[in-house]
Amino acid sequence: MSQAFVNREFWFLAPEIFLTVWGLLVLIADFGPLRDVPAARRNRVLGMMSLAGAVITLFIGYMALMESVEMFGTEVFKPLALNLTQADYSLFSGTLAADSSTAFLNLVVVALLAMVIGISMSWNFTEHVGEYYSLLLWTAVAMMFLIAAEELLTLFLTLETMTLGLYMMAALEKSKRRSAEAGLKYFVYGSVSSALFLFGLSLIYGLTGTTTLAGIQAALSLGGSFGLQSNIAGATAFLLVMVGLGFKIAAVPFHQWAPDTYEGAPAPVTAWIAAGSKIASFVAMMKILLNALPSWSSGSPVGLAAENFSTPGWIGVVAVVSAVTMTYGNFAALAQKNFKRMLAYSSIAHAGYMLVGVLAAAVSIKKGQAAGAVLFYLVVYGFSTVGALAVAAWMARDKGTDEISDLNGLGRTSPMLAVCIVLLMLSLIGMPPLGGFFGKLYMFMEAMNSGERGRLTLQWLVMLGLFNSVVSAFYYVRVLKAMFLRPSEGEPLKPAASGVTWAIVISTLVAVGFGLYPEPLVETMRSSALPMLTSGSRITTNRDYDAERLKDYQKQRSEKIRDLREQLRKKDAGPAMAPPAKPGEGNLSSR
Amino acid sequence: MNNDIPLSWFLIFASATFCIGLLGVLVRRNAIAVLMAIEIMLNAANINFLAFWRYGTPTPGDGPITGVMMAIFVITIAAAEVAVGIGLILLCYRRWKAADVDRYDSLAG
Repeated sequence: MSQAFVNREFWFLAPEIFLTVWGLLVLIADFGPLRDVPAARRNRVLGMMSLAGAVITLFIGYMALMESVEMFGTEVFKPLALNLTQADYSLFSGTLAADSSTAFLNLVVVALLAMVIGISMSWNFTEHVGEYYSLLLWTAVAMMFLIAAEELLTLFLTLETMTLGLYMMAALEKSKRRSAEAGLKYFVYGSVSSALFLFGLSLIYGLTGTTTLAGIQAALSLGGSFGLQSNIAGATAFLLVMVGLGFKIAAVPFHQWAPDTYEGAPAPVTAWIAAGSKIASFVAMMKILLNALPSWSSGSPVGLAAENFSTPGWIGVVAVVSAVTMTYGNFAALAQKNFKRMLAYSSIAHAGYMLVGVLAAAVSIKKGQAAGAVLFYLVVYGFSTVGALAVAAWMARDKGTDEISDLNGLGRTSPMLAVCIVLLMLSLIGMPPLGGFFGKLYMFMEAMNSGERGRLTLQWLVMLGLFNSVVSAFYYVRVLKAMFLRPSEGEPLKPAASGVTWAIVISTLVAVGFGLYPEPLVETMRSSALPMLTSGSRITTNRDYDAERLKDYQKQRSEKIRDLREQLRKKDAGPAMAPPAKPGEGNLSSR
Repeated sequence: MNNDIPLSWFLIFASATFCIGLLGVLVRRNAIAVLMAIEIMLNAANINFLAFWRYGTPTPGDGPITGVMMAIFVITIAAAEVAVGIGLILLCYRRWKAADVDRYDSLAG
């Protein structure tokens, strides 16, 4: 193994390694030099320290992304070279993916982490500051590994690492009764669902004899087991796995924990659960469903006649879950008076929309396009949700509650931030010039264009999704009404802390920026999604890797890219090359 | 392996254990009992992993002891889960003076 290669491998893991070590340093700083310092000051110092860690990780992650771009050509930002990205790269005998898609999603997770740290610094909600920040950093590491996981054991380990950290963080606001309750409810529902998930994984291992996603896919399609009819073991395994995944993404009927946990947990933790853990779990879900279990998606193997489609497979189950999730989430949100609880139901509804995209990726021939649309939606949703929950942190600091009516009169006291919140809410509804609209548009368009297989189901789902978007407008607009039409009662909110302001501004910039100019992000996501779904052709490092082969591969690759560029240049005067999209990165690193 | 216990016995045992655990989660109201039931479910999955490993032929390209590794890591995870779970239950017990999961109902709606 050549030296250069080891360095590359290190680069791919560098963000995770750095964040892990930094988390330890934060903990040591809390227990050592800051032992007798009051909690408010510790919150400031350790928050700045964690924020510095997150910003440094952003730089490292950016360098890792550039490294992977150098290694695999510039396809991340060049959709036209998409068909060249089939083979990619993995670490530790194929257990972790390491390519431009994981490098890019790592950047998204770390940017969200930095925003959540900023929100956490705005007020002091716990005595256990060091534990809180180190758990925050370590759950971010777990999310990054979960996004990269290519193997069931790795996937389960990282999923558990992530949720175990989140259980504790939800209960950290010890002065509030509801925080402890939120933590315990999250824990009980979560650990039951991971036990079900694990049993499902054990059945999949038994059926296929392997734990790698690519191996499972190969074993199932070689074994010729399509669909789930008269495949009791397969159906049981899928349903159990679906319970586990459905819990993590808060899909109905596994959503009961979400409203209580979102309401009870401190606002930054809620933001982290709603954004970070949802992004990571959705990526894991797409990998399991689309990469490992495509054979069970419906009765006919992909590309065969549509009439076999009626044979049941997981497409039917996921379609029902999606329909119920978005409808229930939106209608339940209508009745909420608590801001965080409303956002919990809205987050449930968004999971329903995104499942439509997953279904589109399952039936479509252009898998990468549809999965990329889901990733785009996830990124926009993640940033908007963190921004919205920053508002909840603001209210919690000044009023100690988070009712929607606490926002009354905000349009007069802080007009700039109120306008930002308006834009965030409109983006969550899916209003045209904003990011949320393009997220829905790309996803629903992929669902409509997905070809003969399952068109009827998907058309119904898209119609239901559009109807639900209209319903969702009613409860988001209630927030706007409170801010602009109602007079403030009692003490108005004091000016927001800088962390909250930054979080709201950055997420608004993301929502507006990718609304006015969605191309770079959506193209990046489309080309990112493909290697995620085709891990079968990965170059694994330990066993079948050798430096020569990689070199040959890179050579062929750069030749192909050169040819393609030549062709393009002939075709017209150079295609517009989309600039690299780094949501929030520039703003954060300039702090 | 002709005289061995057949694979199906292990699977039936694991499924039965799993159902006992699930029933425990659904029926018992004491938080500690719920935690124990969750542990039983995790161990049922472990039995599955070990049985499938023992009776299956390892896939070429995979390591020889995948099932065993799964079980070892799941045991570790289960231990971590108990630690976190007991901590959370203690936290709630101090506030409500009860370990009954139905009593924790300040959040609803």
